[in-house]
Amino acid sequence: MSTHTADSHGEEGHSHHETVGPGYATPQAAIEQSERERVAYVVGLYTGTDVDAPDFLAVVDVDPDSGTYGEITDRIEMPTKGDELHHFGWNACSSSCHMEGLERRYLVMPGNRSSRITIVDTENRAHPEIVRVIDPEEVHELDLSAPHTVHCPTGGGVMISMLGNAEGELPGGFLELNEDLEIEGRWDLPGEIEMNYDFWYQPRHNVMISSEWAAPETYQPGFDIEDVEAGKYGHRLHFWNWEEKTVEQTVDLGEEGMVPLEVRFLHSPEATHGYVNAALSSNIFHFFEADGEWHAEKVIDFEGRDLEGWEMPVPALPTDILVSMDDRYLFGANWLHGEVWMYDVSDPANPRHADSISVGGYFGDVREVKGRELAAGPQMVQLSLDGERLYWTTSLYSTWDDQFFPEEKENGSVMLKADVDPRRGTMTLDEEFLVDFGDLPDGPARAHEIRWPDGDCTSDVWQ
Amino acid sequence: MPRVSLEWTNGRRETVPARPGERTLEAAEGSGIDLPFGCRIGVCGTCTGRVLSGEMRHVESPRGLRERDSRDGYVLTCIAVPSTDCTVEVGTDVRARLFENPWR
Ligand code: FES
Repeated sequence: MSTHTADSHGEEGHSHHETVGPGYATPQAAIEQSERERVAYVVGLYTGTDVDAPDFLAVVDVDPDSGTYGEITDRIEMPTKGDELHHFGWNACSSSCHMEGLERRYLVMPGNRSSRITIVDTENRAHPEIVRVIDPEEVHELDLSAPHTVHCPTGGGVMISMLGNAEGELPGGFLELNEDLEIEGRWDLPGEIEMNYDFWYQPRHNVMISSEWAAPETYQPGFDIEDVEAGKYGHRLHFWNWEEKTVEQTVDLGEEGMVPLEVRFLHSPEATHGYVNAALSSNIFHFFEADGEWHAEKVIDFEGRDLEGWEMPVPALPTDILVSMDDRYLFGANWLHGEVWMYDVSDPANPRHADSISVGGYFGDVREVKGRELAAGPQMVQLSLDGERLYWTTSLYSTWDDQFFPEEKENGSVMLKADVDPRRGTMTLDEEFLVDFGDLPDGPARAHEIRWPDGDCTSDVWQ
Repeated sequence: MPRVSLEWTNGRRETVPARPGERTLEAAEGSGIDLPFGCRIGVCGTCTGRVLSGEMRHVESPRGLRERDSRDGYVLTCIAVPSTDCTVEVGTDVRARLFENPWR
Protein backbone atom coordinates (compact mmCIF):
# COMPACT_ATOMS: atom_id res chain seq x y z
CA MET A 1 0.00 0.00 0.00
CA SER A 2 1.19 3.47 -0.74
CA THR A 3 -0.53 6.66 0.27
CA HIS A 4 0.75 8.28 -2.89
CA THR A 5 -1.30 7.66 -5.99
CA ALA A 6 -1.31 9.25 -9.36
CA ASP A 7 -5.09 9.15 -9.58
CA SER A 8 -7.11 12.20 -8.82
CA HIS A 9 -10.11 12.04 -6.54
CA GLY A 10 -13.22 10.15 -7.51
CA GLU A 11 -16.24 12.00 -8.74
CA GLU A 12 -17.14 13.09 -5.23
CA GLY A 13 -13.69 14.52 -4.61
CA HIS A 14 -13.02 18.21 -4.47
CA SER A 15 -11.36 19.37 -7.64
CA HIS A 16 -11.86 23.08 -8.07
CA HIS A 17 -9.02 24.58 -6.15
CA GLU A 18 -5.54 25.68 -6.93
CA THR A 19 -3.77 23.32 -4.58
CA VAL A 20 -2.10 20.23 -6.01
CA GLY A 21 -2.32 18.09 -2.88
CA PRO A 22 -5.07 17.32 -0.35
CA GLY A 23 -7.25 19.94 1.25
CA TYR A 24 -7.52 23.64 0.60
CA ALA A 25 -5.13 26.55 0.19
CA THR A 26 -6.55 28.52 3.13
CA PRO A 27 -9.31 28.15 5.73
CA GLN A 28 -11.48 30.52 3.68
CA ALA A 29 -10.87 28.34 0.60
CA ALA A 30 -12.15 25.37 2.60
CA ILE A 31 -15.38 27.25 3.27
CA GLU A 32 -15.81 28.39 -0.33
CA GLN A 33 -14.72 25.27 -2.20
CA SER A 34 -15.93 22.41 -0.07
CA GLU A 35 -19.22 20.78 -0.92
CA ARG A 36 -21.82 19.93 1.65
CA GLU A 37 -20.91 16.78 3.61
CA ARG A 38 -22.79 13.73 2.32
CA VAL A 39 -21.08 11.06 4.35
CA ALA A 40 -19.92 11.14 7.96
CA TYR A 41 -17.45 8.69 9.41
CA VAL A 42 -18.31 8.00 13.02
CA VAL A 43 -16.62 5.76 15.54
CA GLY A 44 -18.95 3.11 16.98
CA LEU A 45 -17.98 0.84 19.82
CA TYR A 46 -18.89 -2.24 21.81
CA THR A 47 -15.87 -2.37 24.09
CA GLY A 48 -17.02 -2.52 27.68
CA THR A 49 -20.46 -3.88 26.86
CA ASP A 50 -21.53 -7.49 26.82
CA VAL A 51 -22.22 -7.30 23.09
CA ASP A 52 -19.77 -9.76 21.65
CA ALA A 53 -18.58 -7.78 18.62
CA PRO A 54 -15.64 -5.59 17.63
CA ASP A 55 -15.77 -1.79 17.46
CA PHE A 56 -16.49 -0.34 14.04
CA LEU A 57 -16.31 2.63 11.74
CA ALA A 58 -19.84 3.70 10.85
CA VAL A 59 -20.61 5.27 7.50
CA VAL A 60 -23.50 7.64 8.14
CA ASP A 61 -25.57 9.10 5.33
CA VAL A 62 -25.93 12.84 5.98
CA ASP A 63 -27.20 13.72 2.50
CA PRO A 64 -30.77 15.00 2.87
CA ASP A 65 -31.47 14.11 -0.78
CA SER A 66 -30.63 10.47 -0.20
CA GLY A 67 -33.17 7.75 0.55
CA THR A 68 -31.03 6.57 3.46
CA TYR A 69 -30.54 10.00 5.06
CA GLY A 70 -29.74 9.68 8.74
CA GLU A 71 -28.98 5.97 8.50
CA ILE A 72 -25.84 3.98 9.15
CA THR A 73 -25.26 2.59 5.66
CA ASP A 74 -22.15 0.53 6.34
CA ARG A 75 -20.10 -0.66 9.30
CA ILE A 76 -16.44 -1.54 8.96
CA GLU A 77 -15.69 -3.92 11.81
CA MET A 78 -12.27 -3.81 13.40
CA PRO A 79 -10.31 -7.07 13.17
CA THR A 80 -10.36 -7.68 16.94
CA LYS A 81 -12.64 -6.84 19.83
CA GLY A 82 -11.72 -4.56 22.72
CA ASP A 83 -10.12 -1.62 20.91
CA GLU A 84 -12.19 1.25 22.35
CA LEU A 85 -12.02 3.32 19.21
CA HIS A 86 -12.07 6.93 20.34
CA HIS A 87 -10.43 9.63 18.23
CA PHE A 88 -9.16 9.04 14.70
CA GLY A 89 -7.71 11.03 11.82
CA TRP A 90 -6.51 11.31 8.27
CA ASN A 91 -3.21 10.45 6.61
CA ALA A 92 -3.14 13.93 5.05
CA CYS A 93 -4.83 17.29 5.47
CA SER A 94 -4.47 20.83 4.21
CA SER A 95 -1.00 21.08 5.78
CA SER A 96 0.09 19.04 2.73
CA CYS A 97 -1.97 20.93 0.15
CA HIS A 98 1.21 21.64 -1.85
CA MET A 99 2.21 17.94 -1.94
CA GLU A 100 1.38 16.58 -5.35
CA GLY A 101 0.01 13.05 -5.38
CA LEU A 102 -0.84 12.93 -1.71
CA GLU A 103 -4.51 12.24 -0.98
CA ARG A 104 -6.75 12.54 2.05
CA ARG A 105 -7.80 8.95 1.80
CA TYR A 106 -6.67 6.76 4.70
CA LEU A 107 -8.20 6.89 8.16
CA VAL A 108 -5.87 6.07 11.02
CA MET A 109 -7.98 4.48 13.76
CA PRO A 110 -6.31 3.90 17.11
CA GLY A 111 -7.71 1.58 19.76
CA ASN A 112 -7.27 3.53 22.97
CA ARG A 113 -7.43 0.43 25.19
CA SER A 114 -5.85 -2.12 22.87
CA SER A 115 -3.07 0.10 21.41
CA ARG A 116 -3.91 -1.49 18.04
CA ILE A 117 -3.96 0.94 15.10
CA THR A 118 -6.11 0.08 12.11
CA ILE A 119 -5.73 1.79 8.74
CA VAL A 120 -8.88 2.17 6.65
CA ASP A 121 -8.89 3.09 2.97
CA THR A 122 -11.81 5.36 2.05
CA GLU A 123 -11.24 5.37 -1.70
CA ASN A 124 -14.74 3.97 -1.91
CA ARG A 125 -16.43 6.49 0.34
CA ALA A 126 -19.55 4.47 0.89
CA HIS A 127 -17.69 1.25 1.65
CA PRO A 128 -14.23 1.85 3.12
CA GLU A 129 -11.92 -1.11 3.69
CA ILE A 130 -9.30 -2.07 6.24
CA VAL A 131 -5.90 -2.22 4.55
CA ARG A 132 -3.45 -2.50 7.42
CA VAL A 133 -3.31 -3.30 11.11
CA ILE A 134 -0.50 -2.22 13.42
CA ASP A 135 -0.40 -4.66 16.33
CA PRO A 136 -0.16 -3.55 19.96
CA GLU A 137 3.19 -5.31 20.33
CA GLU A 138 4.77 -3.02 17.72
CA VAL A 139 3.54 -0.01 19.66
CA HIS A 140 4.63 -1.37 23.04
CA GLU A 141 8.12 -1.94 21.64
CA LEU A 142 8.57 1.83 21.56
CA ASP A 143 7.50 1.97 25.20
CA LEU A 144 4.20 3.59 24.27
CA SER A 145 0.51 2.72 24.66
CA ALA A 146 -3.00 4.17 24.54
CA PRO A 147 -2.99 6.07 21.23
CA HIS A 148 -5.25 9.10 21.09
CA THR A 149 -5.11 12.08 18.70
CA VAL A 150 -4.06 11.61 15.08
CA HIS A 151 -2.61 14.56 13.15
CA CYS A 152 -0.91 14.51 9.78
CA PRO A 153 2.02 16.91 9.64
CA THR A 154 3.16 18.07 6.22
CA GLY A 155 4.63 15.46 3.97
CA GLY A 156 2.52 12.35 4.39
CA GLY A 157 3.45 10.96 7.79
CA VAL A 158 1.16 10.75 10.77
CA MET A 159 1.72 11.64 14.40
CA ILE A 160 -0.29 10.16 17.28
CA SER A 161 -0.35 11.25 20.91
CA MET A 162 0.21 8.29 23.23
CA LEU A 163 -1.04 8.48 26.78
CA GLY A 164 1.13 5.87 28.44
CA ASN A 165 4.26 3.78 28.29
CA ALA A 166 4.21 0.07 27.49
CA GLU A 167 3.06 -0.65 31.06
CA GLY A 168 0.12 1.74 30.83
CA GLU A 169 1.89 4.10 33.22
CA LEU A 170 3.56 7.46 32.67
CA PRO A 171 5.24 8.92 30.71
CA GLY A 172 3.31 9.08 27.46
CA GLY A 173 4.76 10.44 24.25
CA PHE A 174 4.21 10.60 20.51
CA LEU A 175 4.26 7.91 17.84
CA GLU A 176 5.14 8.62 14.23
CA LEU A 177 3.93 6.66 11.20
CA ASN A 178 5.68 7.01 7.86
CA GLU A 179 3.91 7.90 4.63
CA ASP A 180 3.05 4.24 4.04
CA LEU A 181 1.39 4.36 7.48
CA GLU A 182 3.82 1.93 9.06
CA ILE A 183 5.56 2.69 12.32
CA GLU A 184 8.41 5.12 11.82
CA GLY A 185 9.39 5.45 15.45
CA ARG A 186 8.94 7.60 18.47
CA TRP A 187 8.71 11.32 17.72
CA ASP A 188 9.79 12.71 21.08
CA LEU A 189 12.56 11.88 23.47
CA PRO A 190 11.04 10.10 26.48
CA GLY A 191 10.76 12.39 29.48
CA GLU A 192 9.82 15.66 27.80
CA ILE A 193 6.33 15.24 29.22
CA GLU A 194 4.65 12.94 31.71
CA MET A 195 0.92 13.11 30.90
CA ASN A 196 -0.44 13.50 27.42
CA TYR A 197 -3.78 13.77 25.65
CA ASP A 198 -4.51 15.98 22.65
CA PHE A 199 -2.19 18.17 20.58
CA TRP A 200 -2.30 20.76 17.83
CA TYR A 201 0.55 22.28 15.86
CA GLN A 202 0.87 25.66 14.16
CA PRO A 203 3.85 25.28 11.81
CA ARG A 204 4.24 28.94 10.93
CA HIS A 205 4.96 29.70 14.57
CA ASN A 206 6.98 26.51 15.07
CA VAL A 207 4.79 25.54 18.00
CA MET A 208 2.91 22.46 19.11
CA ILE A 209 0.68 22.40 22.17
CA SER A 210 -0.12 19.23 24.08
CA SER A 211 -2.61 18.73 26.91
CA GLU A 212 -3.04 16.25 29.78
CA TRP A 213 -5.57 13.61 30.78
CA ALA A 214 -3.94 10.96 32.98
CA ALA A 215 -2.06 7.65 32.76
CA PRO A 216 -4.00 4.83 31.09
CA GLU A 217 -3.88 2.83 34.35
CA THR A 218 -5.64 5.81 35.99
CA TYR A 219 -8.38 6.86 33.56
CA GLN A 220 -9.12 3.58 31.76
CA PRO A 221 -10.70 1.54 34.57
CA GLY A 222 -12.99 4.46 35.53
CA PHE A 223 -13.08 7.90 37.13
CA ASP A 224 -12.12 7.95 40.82
CA ILE A 225 -12.17 11.31 42.60
CA GLU A 226 -9.39 10.04 44.88
CA ASP A 227 -7.11 9.97 41.86
CA VAL A 228 -7.79 13.67 41.34
CA GLU A 229 -6.91 14.37 44.97
CA ALA A 230 -3.78 12.24 44.59
CA GLY A 231 -2.61 14.43 41.69
CA LYS A 232 -3.05 11.73 39.08
CA TYR A 233 -5.02 13.96 36.71
CA GLY A 234 -3.48 16.63 34.49
CA HIS A 235 -3.70 20.42 34.64
CA ARG A 236 -0.89 21.62 32.40
CA LEU A 237 -0.33 22.70 28.81
CA HIS A 238 2.97 22.02 27.12
CA PHE A 239 4.28 24.35 24.43
CA TRP A 240 6.72 22.52 22.20
CA ASN A 241 9.32 23.71 19.76
CA TRP A 242 7.77 21.88 16.81
CA GLU A 243 10.99 21.42 14.87
CA GLU A 244 13.29 20.67 17.79
CA LYS A 245 10.69 18.34 19.40
CA THR A 246 11.35 19.75 22.84
CA VAL A 247 9.06 21.36 25.39
CA GLU A 248 9.98 25.02 25.69
CA GLN A 249 7.34 26.10 28.13
CA THR A 250 4.83 24.45 30.44
CA VAL A 251 1.87 26.41 31.74
CA ASP A 252 0.15 25.13 34.87
CA LEU A 253 -3.57 25.91 34.70
CA GLY A 254 -4.01 25.16 38.39
CA GLU A 255 -7.21 24.14 40.17
CA GLU A 256 -9.40 25.88 37.64
CA GLY A 257 -7.71 24.04 34.79
CA MET A 258 -8.16 20.40 35.76
CA VAL A 259 -8.05 17.91 32.88
CA PRO A 260 -7.37 20.16 29.88
CA LEU A 261 -8.50 18.09 26.90
CA GLU A 262 -8.99 19.33 23.33
CA VAL A 263 -6.42 21.78 21.99
CA ARG A 264 -8.02 23.90 19.26
CA PHE A 265 -5.90 26.49 17.54
CA LEU A 266 -7.52 29.11 15.36
CA HIS A 267 -7.22 27.95 11.74
CA SER A 268 -5.52 30.99 10.28
CA PRO A 269 -1.87 29.98 9.87
CA GLU A 270 -0.96 33.42 11.21
CA ALA A 271 -2.93 33.02 14.44
CA THR A 272 -1.27 32.70 17.84
CA HIS A 273 -4.51 32.05 19.71
CA GLY A 274 -6.39 28.94 20.67
CA TYR A 275 -8.60 27.31 23.29
CA VAL A 276 -8.55 24.30 25.54
CA ASN A 277 -11.39 22.87 27.63
CA ALA A 278 -10.52 22.09 31.24
CA ALA A 279 -13.22 19.43 31.40
CA LEU A 280 -13.17 18.58 35.09
CA SER A 281 -13.07 22.23 36.22
CA SER A 282 -15.71 23.13 33.62
CA ASN A 283 -13.71 26.09 32.31
CA ILE A 284 -12.44 27.14 28.90
CA PHE A 285 -8.95 28.61 28.66
CA HIS A 286 -7.65 30.92 25.96
CA PHE A 287 -3.96 30.45 25.17
CA PHE A 288 -1.97 33.00 23.23
CA GLU A 289 1.49 34.31 22.60
CA ALA A 290 2.57 37.69 23.92
CA ASP A 291 6.05 39.09 24.50
CA GLY A 292 7.64 35.93 23.16
CA GLU A 293 5.88 33.73 25.73
CA TRP A 294 2.77 31.60 25.81
CA HIS A 295 0.03 32.39 28.28
CA ALA A 296 -3.27 30.75 29.23
CA GLU A 297 -6.22 32.54 30.80
CA LYS A 298 -9.63 31.32 31.85
CA VAL A 299 -12.23 32.94 29.61
CA ILE A 300 -15.40 30.89 30.12
CA ASP A 301 -16.59 29.45 33.42
CA PHE A 302 -19.55 27.09 33.50
CA GLU A 303 -21.23 27.04 36.91
CA GLY A 304 -22.34 23.79 38.50
CA ARG A 305 -26.09 23.32 38.92
CA ASP A 306 -28.00 21.88 41.86
CA LEU A 307 -29.91 18.70 41.29
CA GLU A 308 -31.93 16.69 43.75
CA GLY A 309 -30.13 13.58 44.85
CA TRP A 310 -26.68 15.00 44.14
CA GLU A 311 -24.40 15.81 47.04
CA MET A 312 -22.79 18.64 45.15
CA PRO A 313 -23.71 20.81 42.17
CA VAL A 314 -23.55 18.90 38.91
CA PRO A 315 -20.52 20.15 36.96
CA ALA A 316 -21.11 21.05 33.30
CA LEU A 317 -18.22 18.85 32.10
CA PRO A 318 -17.38 20.53 28.77
CA THR A 319 -15.69 17.53 27.19
CA ASP A 320 -15.24 18.77 23.63
CA ILE A 321 -14.76 22.08 21.83
CA LEU A 322 -13.99 23.18 18.28
CA VAL A 323 -13.30 26.40 16.38
CA SER A 324 -15.29 27.13 13.21
CA MET A 325 -13.27 27.27 10.00
CA ASP A 326 -13.68 31.05 9.81
CA ASP A 327 -12.27 31.35 13.37
CA ARG A 328 -15.34 33.30 14.37
CA TYR A 329 -17.00 30.86 16.78
CA LEU A 330 -15.99 28.45 19.48
CA PHE A 331 -18.46 25.56 19.76
CA GLY A 332 -18.59 23.09 22.60
CA ALA A 333 -20.62 20.56 24.53
CA ASN A 334 -21.43 20.30 28.24
CA TRP A 335 -21.90 16.59 28.57
CA LEU A 336 -23.43 16.38 32.05
CA HIS A 337 -25.63 19.46 31.86
CA GLY A 338 -26.85 18.63 28.34
CA GLU A 339 -25.97 21.68 26.30
CA VAL A 340 -24.24 22.61 23.06
CA TRP A 341 -23.09 26.19 22.88
CA MET A 342 -21.45 28.68 20.56
CA TYR A 343 -19.39 31.67 21.62
CA ASP A 344 -18.34 34.53 19.38
CA VAL A 345 -14.53 34.63 19.53
CA SER A 346 -13.94 37.48 17.09
CA ASP A 347 -12.18 39.06 20.07
CA PRO A 348 -10.26 35.93 21.12
CA ALA A 349 -9.55 37.05 24.68
CA ASN A 350 -13.20 37.89 25.34
CA PRO A 351 -15.57 35.19 24.10
CA ARG A 352 -19.18 36.31 23.97
CA HIS A 353 -22.03 33.82 24.38
CA ALA A 354 -23.97 33.66 21.12
CA ASP A 355 -26.39 30.76 21.52
CA SER A 356 -27.01 27.41 23.21
CA ILE A 357 -29.28 24.41 22.82
CA SER A 358 -30.42 22.60 25.94
CA VAL A 359 -30.65 18.92 24.99
CA GLY A 360 -30.15 15.61 26.82
CA GLY A 361 -27.93 15.24 29.87
CA TYR A 362 -29.17 16.01 33.39
CA PHE A 363 -30.79 19.36 32.57
CA GLY A 364 -31.56 19.43 28.85
CA ASP A 365 -34.99 20.82 27.90
CA VAL A 366 -35.21 18.50 24.90
CA ARG A 367 -35.63 14.95 26.25
CA GLU A 368 -36.34 13.10 23.02
CA VAL A 369 -35.78 13.47 19.29
CA LYS A 370 -38.02 11.66 16.80
CA GLY A 371 -39.45 9.68 19.69
CA ARG A 372 -36.04 8.46 20.81
CA GLU A 373 -35.39 9.15 24.47
CA LEU A 374 -32.13 10.95 25.22
CA ALA A 375 -29.88 10.21 28.18
CA ALA A 376 -26.32 11.52 27.90
CA GLY A 377 -25.76 15.10 26.85
CA PRO A 378 -23.88 16.25 23.76
CA GLN A 379 -20.27 15.10 23.77
CA MET A 380 -18.06 14.92 20.61
CA VAL A 381 -18.92 17.79 18.25
CA GLN A 382 -18.16 18.30 14.55
CA LEU A 383 -19.04 21.26 12.37
CA SER A 384 -19.57 21.37 8.61
CA LEU A 385 -16.78 23.22 6.80
CA ASP A 386 -19.17 26.04 5.91
CA GLY A 387 -20.10 26.40 9.58
CA GLU A 388 -23.81 25.83 9.02
CA ARG A 389 -24.38 22.41 10.54
CA LEU A 390 -23.20 21.18 13.92
CA TYR A 391 -23.37 17.45 14.64
CA TRP A 392 -22.65 15.61 17.87
CA THR A 393 -22.62 12.20 19.51
CA THR A 394 -23.21 11.31 23.15
CA SER A 395 -20.62 8.80 24.44
CA LEU A 396 -17.53 10.01 26.30
CA TYR A 397 -15.57 6.89 27.17
CA SER A 398 -17.06 3.47 27.92
CA THR A 399 -16.07 3.25 31.57
CA TRP A 400 -16.94 6.88 32.29
CA ASP A 401 -20.29 6.59 30.51
CA ASP A 402 -21.13 3.77 32.89
CA GLN A 403 -20.70 6.11 35.86
CA PHE A 404 -22.70 9.06 34.59
CA PHE A 405 -25.03 7.76 31.88
CA PRO A 406 -25.29 3.96 32.13
CA GLU A 407 -28.10 4.24 29.54
CA GLU A 408 -25.42 4.61 26.84
CA LYS A 409 -24.55 0.95 27.34
CA GLU A 410 -28.14 -0.26 27.45
CA ASN A 411 -29.63 1.89 24.69
CA GLY A 412 -26.65 3.05 22.64
CA SER A 413 -25.68 6.58 21.62
CA VAL A 414 -27.34 9.00 19.26
CA MET A 415 -25.96 11.42 16.71
CA LEU A 416 -27.84 14.70 16.53
CA LYS A 417 -27.59 17.90 14.52
CA ALA A 418 -28.29 21.60 14.79
CA ASP A 419 -28.56 24.11 11.99
CA VAL A 420 -26.30 27.09 12.58
CA ASP A 421 -26.70 30.60 11.25
CA PRO A 422 -23.16 31.97 11.40
CA ARG A 423 -24.29 35.43 10.33
CA ARG A 424 -26.70 35.78 13.23
CA GLY A 425 -24.86 33.56 15.67
CA THR A 426 -27.81 31.24 16.29
CA MET A 427 -28.44 27.51 16.40
CA THR A 428 -31.61 25.46 15.99
CA LEU A 429 -31.97 21.78 16.82
CA ASP A 430 -32.93 19.78 13.72
CA GLU A 431 -35.76 17.73 15.17
CA GLU A 432 -35.93 15.60 12.02
CA PHE A 433 -32.34 14.37 12.26
CA LEU A 434 -31.49 11.34 14.36
CA VAL A 435 -28.91 8.61 13.90
CA ASP A 436 -29.70 5.90 16.41
CA PHE A 437 -26.71 3.77 17.37
CA GLY A 438 -29.05 1.84 19.64
CA ASP A 439 -30.67 0.18 16.69
CA LEU A 440 -27.98 -2.05 15.16
CA PRO A 441 -27.94 -5.75 14.30
CA ASP A 442 -25.32 -6.68 16.94
CA GLY A 443 -26.89 -4.57 19.65
CA PRO A 444 -26.72 -0.99 20.96
CA ALA A 445 -23.38 0.75 20.36
CA ARG A 446 -21.72 3.88 21.70
CA ALA A 447 -20.71 6.59 19.23
CA HIS A 448 -17.77 8.94 19.56
CA GLU A 449 -15.76 11.08 17.12
CA ILE A 450 -17.15 12.30 13.75
CA ARG A 451 -15.09 13.13 10.62
CA TRP A 452 -15.86 14.29 7.07
CA PRO A 453 -14.14 12.82 4.00
CA ASP A 454 -13.10 16.28 2.81
CA GLY A 455 -11.59 17.58 5.98
CA ASP A 456 -13.01 19.21 9.04
CA CYS A 457 -12.59 21.88 11.65
CA THR A 458 -10.72 19.58 14.01
CA SER A 459 -8.11 18.12 11.68
CA ASP A 460 -7.05 20.70 9.14
CA VAL A 461 -3.91 22.75 9.81
CA TRP A 462 -2.23 25.17 7.41
CA GLN A 463 1.48 25.38 6.82
CA MET B 1 -5.71 -28.84 35.43
CA PRO B 2 -7.70 -26.26 37.41
CA ARG B 3 -11.28 -25.74 36.38
CA VAL B 4 -12.73 -22.27 36.31
CA SER B 5 -16.44 -21.69 36.74
CA LEU B 6 -17.55 -18.45 35.18
CA GLU B 7 -20.68 -16.80 36.52
CA TRP B 8 -22.50 -13.86 34.98
CA THR B 9 -24.83 -11.61 36.93
CA ASN B 10 -27.71 -12.72 34.69
CA GLY B 11 -27.34 -16.30 35.92
CA ARG B 12 -25.36 -17.74 33.01
CA ARG B 13 -22.74 -20.30 34.11
CA GLU B 14 -19.93 -22.03 32.23
CA THR B 15 -17.02 -24.14 33.40
CA VAL B 16 -13.75 -24.22 31.48
CA PRO B 17 -10.42 -26.00 32.00
CA ALA B 18 -7.25 -23.91 32.34
CA ARG B 19 -3.88 -25.29 31.29
CA PRO B 20 -1.05 -24.74 33.78
CA GLY B 21 -0.11 -21.07 33.72
CA GLU B 22 -2.99 -20.15 31.42
CA ARG B 23 -4.71 -16.83 32.06
CA THR B 24 -8.42 -16.92 32.83
CA LEU B 25 -9.40 -14.79 29.81
CA GLU B 26 -7.43 -17.07 27.49
CA ALA B 27 -8.79 -20.20 29.11
CA ALA B 28 -12.33 -18.96 28.50
CA GLU B 29 -11.55 -17.99 24.91
CA GLY B 30 -9.93 -21.40 24.39
CA SER B 31 -13.31 -22.94 25.20
CA GLY B 32 -15.11 -20.58 22.87
CA ILE B 33 -16.42 -18.30 25.60
CA ASP B 34 -16.00 -14.58 25.13
CA LEU B 35 -15.33 -12.34 28.08
CA PRO B 36 -14.91 -8.56 27.97
CA PHE B 37 -11.38 -7.25 27.47
CA GLY B 38 -9.43 -4.24 26.22
CA CYS B 39 -5.67 -3.95 26.73
CA ARG B 40 -4.95 -7.59 27.74
CA ILE B 41 -1.96 -6.35 29.75
CA GLY B 42 -3.55 -5.58 33.12
CA VAL B 43 -4.06 -1.83 32.66
CA CYS B 44 -7.58 -0.94 31.51
CA GLY B 45 -9.82 -2.87 33.89
CA THR B 46 -12.27 -3.93 31.15
CA CYS B 47 -11.78 -7.62 32.02
CA THR B 48 -12.38 -7.23 35.76
CA GLY B 49 -13.89 -10.26 37.48
CA ARG B 50 -14.37 -11.28 41.10
CA VAL B 51 -13.15 -14.52 42.63
CA LEU B 52 -15.97 -16.08 44.63
CA SER B 53 -14.06 -19.23 45.58
CA GLY B 54 -10.64 -20.68 44.94
CA GLU B 55 -7.39 -18.84 44.28
CA MET B 56 -5.92 -16.85 41.44
CA ARG B 57 -2.66 -14.98 41.15
CA HIS B 58 -1.77 -12.12 38.86
CA VAL B 59 1.26 -12.82 36.66
CA GLU B 60 1.95 -9.09 36.35
CA SER B 61 1.13 -6.16 38.55
CA PRO B 62 -2.63 -5.48 38.17
CA ARG B 63 -2.34 -1.78 37.36
CA GLY B 64 -5.98 -1.50 36.36
CA LEU B 65 -7.17 -2.57 39.80
CA ARG B 66 -7.15 -0.47 42.97
CA GLU B 67 -5.59 -2.12 46.01
CA ARG B 68 -8.84 -2.16 47.96
CA ASP B 69 -10.62 -3.90 45.08
CA SER B 70 -7.83 -6.42 44.87
CA ARG B 71 -8.25 -7.15 48.59
CA ASP B 72 -11.97 -7.66 47.99
CA GLY B 73 -11.26 -10.46 45.55
CA TYR B 74 -11.43 -8.58 42.27
CA VAL B 75 -9.04 -9.76 39.56
CA LEU B 76 -8.06 -8.80 36.04
CA THR B 77 -8.88 -11.94 34.10
CA CYS B 78 -6.38 -11.06 31.35
CA ILE B 79 -3.45 -11.54 33.75
CA ALA B 80 -4.99 -13.78 36.44
CA VAL B 81 -3.98 -17.44 36.48
CA PRO B 82 -5.99 -19.91 38.59
CA SER B 83 -3.90 -21.83 41.12
CA THR B 84 -6.84 -23.99 42.22
CA ASP B 85 -10.34 -24.67 40.95
CA CYS B 86 -12.08 -21.32 41.00
CA THR B 87 -15.44 -19.65 40.66
CA VAL B 88 -15.25 -16.16 39.14
CA GLU B 89 -17.96 -13.62 38.58
CA VAL B 90 -17.53 -12.11 35.09
CA GLY B 91 -19.16 -9.67 32.67
CA THR B 92 -18.98 -5.91 32.35
CA ASP B 93 -21.24 -5.28 35.37
CA VAL B 94 -18.46 -6.43 37.68
CA ARG B 95 -16.13 -3.55 36.79
CA ALA B 96 -18.96 -1.06 36.54
CA ARG B 97 -20.02 -1.51 40.16
CA LEU B 98 -16.52 -0.55 41.34
CA PHE B 99 -16.85 2.95 39.90
CA GLU B 100 -19.79 5.04 40.93
CA ASN B 101 -20.81 8.55 40.12
CA PRO B 102 -18.59 10.40 42.62
CA TRP B 103 -20.83 13.45 42.96
CA ARG B 104 -24.16 11.87 43.52
S1 FES C 1 -8.07 -6.37 29.42
FE1 FES C 1 -7.27 -4.53 30.20
S2 FES C 1 -6.89 -5.04 32.28
FE2 FES C 1 -7.47 -6.90 31.39
